[in-house]
Amino acid sequence: MESFFVRYRNLLVLLAILLAQIIGLAMQVRRGDSGRNSLDPQDAPGVRLLRLWADAVVAPPEKAFHATRLGVVSAWQDYLDLRHVREQNEDLQKTIDRLRLEQASLLEDAKQGERLQALMDFQQKYIYKTQAAQAIGTSGSDSSRVFYIDKGADYKLERDMAVITADGIAGKVREVFPHSAQVLAINDQTSGAGVILETTRVRGILRGNAAGQPQIVGILKDDRIKPGEKVLTAGGDLIFPRGLPVGVVEKVVADPERDSFIDVIVRPAAHLDRLDEVLVITSTEAHFPPEQQQDMATSELLKGAQAAAIAEAALEQKKAAEVMAERLPGLTEPNAPATTPAAGTTPANGQPGTGATPAAAAAAPPVPKLLQPQHPDRFTPGAGAPLGGETRAPAGQEKKPAPKTGLKPQSKPGQKANVPPTHAGGNTQP
Amino acid sequence: MSLLSADYRRDMGVHKYPLLVYALTPLAALVLQAWLPRLAHGYTWFDLPLVVTVYFALARRSPIEGTLLGAGMGLFEDALTQHAIGVNGIAKTVAGFLAGSVGVRIDVENHTIRTMVTFVLSLLSSVIYFSVYRILLGLSMEWNWLAELMKAVVNSLIAMVLFPLLDRTRVRD
Repeated sequence: MESFFVRYRNLLVLLAILLAQIIGLAMQVRRGDSGRNSLDPQDAPGVRLLRLWADAVVAPPEKAFHATRLGVVSAWQDYLDLRHVREQNEDLQKTIDRLRLEQASLLEDAKQGERLQALMDFQQKYIYKTQAAQAIGTSGSDSSRVFYIDKGADYKLERDMAVITADGIAGKVREVFPHSAQVLAINDQTSGAGVILETTRVRGILRGNAAGQPQIVGILKDDRIKPGEKVLTAGGDLIFPRGLPVGVVEKVVADPERDSFIDVIVRPAAHLDRLDEVLVITSTEAHFPPEQQQDMATSELLKGAQAAAIAEAALEQKKAAEVMAERLPGLTEPNAPATTPAAGTTPANGQPGTGATPAAAAAAPPVPKLLQPQHPDRFTPGAGAPLGGETRAPAGQEKKPAPKTGLKPQSKPGQKANVPPTHAGGNTQP
Repeated sequence: MSLLSADYRRDMGVHKYPLLVYALTPLAALVLQAWLPRLAHGYTWFDLPLVVTVYFALARRSPIEGTLLGAGMGLFEDALTQHAIGVNGIAKTVAGFLAGSVGVRIDVENHTIRTMVTFVLSLLSSVIYFSVYRILLGLSMEWNWLAELMKAVVNSLIAMVLFPLLDRTRVRD
């Protein structure tokens, strides 16, 4: 008997270790109601302990590597960035002002949306609080698209919190360790996020494929879905707030397993292959957070100041136009309503005295008289004969209705309408 | 490839390494495996823990040591993923056992042979991983065989560079 164990000890050790691992695997897999096997979404305490140990071994060196790399890269980039920082700062300040104005203009729409959602008994969640974190490592395997961040339970991170970047969503927290956390990326095969196509409003579930591309699965064939359409979070999964950018449709392929279904391959908005800094959404609220409301108040103030600035600029522009009109008599509209009947000019409708009141005429600047041409022809202002006493409108405008401006017509009853001129001097009476 | 006689195998000494190399090399492989894909834009076309397992199993000429090292490395890798713990463990356990078994029968000083062994065991490890996941556990998973082939090639290239470097750390009598 002893010789049996000695002789086959290699094989026995192999079998013992394989058996132990198979039993361990069997304890981690459950058979679902649909008859399909699945992994426990929540790790058993023993499994979690193993993951904790692995993380405790790997995370500190990863943090050290990451910090060293960041130090070297940022030292170089800081030098480069400082060279044009002033110009960039001014540009960014302008961008902030512009965005604040845009935000203020969108505020009313958002508030109205809130009211409508309250009526529909649906509360949209807004991002209330985020925690910045650095991506420090990966699982090291193609079949597992997870990454590790340098914040964990010490920063009150919890399972199933959304992880986003400035460009779009990146994943969700799957496991939280004391000083780090494991994030399941949206391009993993086991991930799932509720998404909606922006234009066609088609909803679906986003998950990764073998090549690491996110794809929307379980969609009925729809010819309206075209490459380039934006994909947003739908908000129904209770993880990602609604309306966050996910990516754009890259292509539409037929579902290999089911007829009449398609898979929509999505190009992610976030750079999943080179994530550096991410934001973990640690809290959401049904209303705008105080910081955002303060921003909006600032925007309203800015908006008022900018409106005043625009009005002032318009006034200055008007003055400049008037000065130019004085200095360039040839550019003066000869058929414009006369404002100075006493100066000898004829009103556009040929009836003196109807263009302006005497007070206005006195206040208005004098309009210079047109120089008389030396060789007048039929194109000379005032030389053309009126057609039947009326001015002919240009082709294409003859039957065009007058635009509804909301202004009262200036012509009085019994007086001819003041028709726009066909060309300079077209209806001026000699 | 030169097959060796039993007497010659007995005469050949088992390669020994400083304790620090035993401890730090697998650890460095695991840490780099988790960290390097971040620099490589997410591409994971290499498996450093497998390469290190094959190296020590071949050098030690011991199936038991290869089995234990492979199991430890595989379980550690599994713990870093969100998958069940043991899938990679089984794959690398078998790879380590086979490498240790082969080490008894071949000339492990030959770089070409070691590279070929790494290539074959890398592919075998992928096959076992896929089989355990799909057949034993009954879980669904898409698989990209081209990526696995590429991984085997890259592992072989890494082995060509890494094995001579590790040979230098060997304790010589």
